[in-house]
Amino acid sequence: MDPATQKKWDRAALGYDLMNGYGPEWRWGPYKRRLFSTMAGRVLFVAIGTGQDIQFFPAGQEITAIDISPRMIEQARVRADGYDGRLELRQLDVHDLDYPDATFDKVFTSCTFCSVTDPVIGLRELRRVLCPGGTIGMFEHTGSRFFPFNLMLDLMTPLMRQVGPELNRDTLANLQQAGFVDVNLDPVYLDVVKVIHGVAPCASGALEPDG
Amino acid sequence: MDLGEGYGSGGGRQIMNCRPYFLIGDLVSNTGVGAVVGLVVASSIGETWWMGLGMAAGMCIGSLVALPAVCFFSVLFGAMEVMLPVMLTGMLAGMLVGMGAAMNMLAGDVAVGIGAVVGLVVLLTTYGLDVYLKTYNE
Repeated sequence: MDPATQKKWDRAALGYDLMNGYGPEWRWGPYKRRLFSTMAGRVLFVAIGTGQDIQFFPAGQEITAIDISPRMIEQARVRADGYDGRLELRQLDVHDLDYPDATFDKVFTSCTFCSVTDPVIGLRELRRVLCPGGTIGMFEHTGSRFFPFNLMLDLMTPLMRQVGPELNRDTLANLQQAGFVDVNLDPVYLDVVKVIHGVAPCASGALEPDG
Repeated sequence: MDLGEGYGSGGGRQIMNCRPYFLIGDLVSNTGVGAVVGLVVASSIGETWWMGLGMAAGMCIGSLVALPAVCFFSVLFGAMEVMLPVMLTGMLAGMLVGMGAAMNMLAGDVAVGIGAVVGLVVLLTTYGLDVYLKTYNE
């Protein structure tokens, strides 16, 4: 468990719903609902936060949701209790999951890999716990290739990383570097907010860490 | 797939977020920040300033004014969709008004108008780029 990251998100839990609970969630809600509508089988949701995304989960699913911050999970518990299905909350670091290989059929993230300390290691861990052929669906914000947006995101990242996410990650490349295949995306806003899809490769040889 | 009321559709993919609440929010946040930046920069930069310095100072002031506005408007209207255009509006409006103020070309109301127009142009440009990227899925 990364104590610095945990502490950062414990602190962020206090005003998280105020900052993100209204405008951003309402704006992104339809896209998230569409992404999460593909939940089926054994589902792992990474970084549940205060549970704002639970409202977009389809009913009747069997979902394991993790987060590094116990304070976030504490807040998420109320929303999780209201979910019409089975939703288990656990405090775990995505770098070090305690699940056996090929535990889950699908993995979902929502604004997660802007904050994971080592995104490639985290994604490799997710690939490990996914069944071969299992899918990952990510709602993420990333850096931009367009000036001046890339400049602004680069300039704001050192400030933002102290209190929350990094703004200039290349999550698509990280996903490929972690060994996922059939990686593709649907843009949500510019080339910054996007839904990314990937598949854990079926060939066992491709599951080596440096894949 | 249907994304709900107000969503446009282009070949099955949502091309633009057309919900009035967010369209109005984008408009208010960008033109509002542009206008305030114009006023602040025009009243901060004197006609004796060197033009280059006026532009640089205007850009910095514009960014500083835009930052708290981003925090406020983000809560209401969305995260990146507010942050990127509003910060850009602050920078560009500050730079343009700073240049004009240093050249002794701007009254206060004109500076406000220029700032608001910059905000509108930035917003329309980001909308256009967004539609382009979604249309061609680049």
